[in-house]
Amino acid sequence: MKKQKILERLMSIVFFITATISIVSVILILLFIVINSIPALKEIGIVQFITGKTWAPANIPASFGLLPMILGSLYVTAGAVLIGVPLGLFTAVFMARFCPEKLYKVLKPLIDLLAGIPSIVYGFFGLVFIVPLIRNTLGGTGDSILAASILLGIMILPTIIGLSEAAIRAVPQSYYEGALSLGATHERAVFTILLPAAKSGIFASVILGIGRAIGETMAVVMVAGNQARIPTGILNGVRTMTSNIVIEMGYAADLHRGALIASGLVLFVFILILNIAFSLMNKKKGA
Amino acid sequence: MKKIILFLIIASLILAGFAGCSGDKGKTLTLEDLKDITVVSRESGSGTRGAFVELTGVEVKNADGTKVDQTTQEAVIANKTDVVLQQISGNQSAIGYISAGSLNDTVKALQIDGVDPTAANIAAGKYALARPFFIAVKDTNNAVANDFIDFILSAEGQEVVSKSYIAIKSDAAKFVSKMPEGKIVVAGSSSVTPLMEKLKEAYEKVNPKVTIEIQQSDSTAGITAVVEGTCNIGMASRALKDTELAKGITPTEIAKDGIAVIVNTKNPLKSVTKDQLAGIYKGEVKTWTELK
Repeated sequence: MKKQKILERLMSIVFFITATISIVSVILILLFIVINSIPALKEIGIVQFITGKTWAPANIPASFGLLPMILGSLYVTAGAVLIGVPLGLFTAVFMARFCPEKLYKVLKPLIDLLAGIPSIVYGFFGLVFIVPLIRNTLGGTGDSILAASILLGIMILPTIIGLSEAAIRAVPQSYYEGALSLGATHERAVFTILLPAAKSGIFASVILGIGRAIGETMAVVMVAGNQARIPTGILNGVRTMTSNIVIEMGYAADLHRGALIASGLVLFVFILILNIAFSLMNKKKGA
Repeated sequence: MKKIILFLIIASLILAGFAGCSGDKGKTLTLEDLKDITVVSRESGSGTRGAFVELTGVEVKNADGTKVDQTTQEAVIANKTDVVLQQISGNQSAIGYISAGSLNDTVKALQIDGVDPTAANIAAGKYALARPFFIAVKDTNNAVANDFIDFILSAEGQEVVSKSYIAIKSDAAKFVSKMPEGKIVVAGSSSVTPLMEKLKEAYEKVNPKVTIEIQQSDSTAGITAVVEGTCNIGMASRALKDTELAKGITPTEIAKDGIAVIVNTKNPLKSVTKDQLAGIYKGEVKTWTELK
């Protein structure tokens, strides 16, 4: 009896330590970003940094304006949502309510596989397939917001499909049966009863998808063109905040390096806002 | 019936995909076919970009010390040599630049003012987009510095050079270290620094008794530091000026850096001038027909 108690006590300490480690890493990362970006932000000026339109670190004097990259991240993410959400949502509906058993056994692992493909492979696919396709059909250089959006749209599919499907499946069967007994067809029951009932889970999947899209780097670098200026059309190239960091980090020193870490801070704030939105939505669901 | 429709949809999707990447393969096009120039550049901060904008005059240095890189903002930015190669080989209207040592068959190198970017032409100083890497010393009696310089100019040192740059001596003798002890400081050009780091690494394997400290700044600062005696060896990515030589320093060329301008293999263009190149990268020349 006593032995068991000691064991239990020991294990709870172990669990506490593991939990602490993950929390401490988050705090350390945040501290690192904040401490390293403060000097750069002070020197450049926060307002100038966020609203400046010119990014030219190699010029003397250098200018660090992050606005093109902030807009770049937003445009590309919005494009990915426009492409990925309808595609993913309808796939989820199909998987949950329309898919024959045999086909499901093939499709489900394939969709899971989509999540396991490394992003550099996605990027390479985009570079040799999507980019030339856009260049040959729509003109321009091909390295564009559109290419990045399509690629990210595909990349967020597994997140959206998986979570939305689970949300739709979680709706009690009685909702569906009730709709049928009131004379609704199968399609009508799914789209007017099940989907609204699974709303919060679907929103959660979209927010997680946005989180994945805004943070994606390698694939975007390869297909977006990476021009550090405000784009004027979807066939224009664009540079996202993550691309900006990965492209220039290798050479950056002093203020330039600080400015890149500060871009990381801005990105961190974006992700934080997304996560807060996510937890607010979950709270609402609980209430 | 449903299955047949599904099959047809999938088949047409696949076909549409293939149609996208086919096109006229292997055929050389005319400049009219190429339409707008897709300018591919490296990211700012890259040594290759630094050398390119400096050599072509895309970067403007003003008398007050300010420097502006005028590379067009529409340029596609590729952050690695491989990505530049991929961009050029996949886009018939693209133009880009890479270090001459990284050229391969997937792209076509243009002549600059009628000269091919071969190692021989670069070494002979005929190719315009090339620059010498110099080191300079003031005290010619420092045993460690002399031994290190001997190593750089030896067969082993030049082999390190030729991995990413153009060696200046093809028939250098094998290196025999005099095994001096001590510490030297090497300072100067950020373009020469990566090469110097590799040379240092190779030299310290031969003679582990020395410590070499490399400080990165720029060519002018490196030469000034040698003159003032704050470092033993100065690095410069340009030929030394007469005013600098007048201060009693001894320069030695250790390598040459060449930049090849590359286009798609279907591009019919053979040669560009330095001015045309500057025009393209500043965004003033926008279509291939303007290069006729």
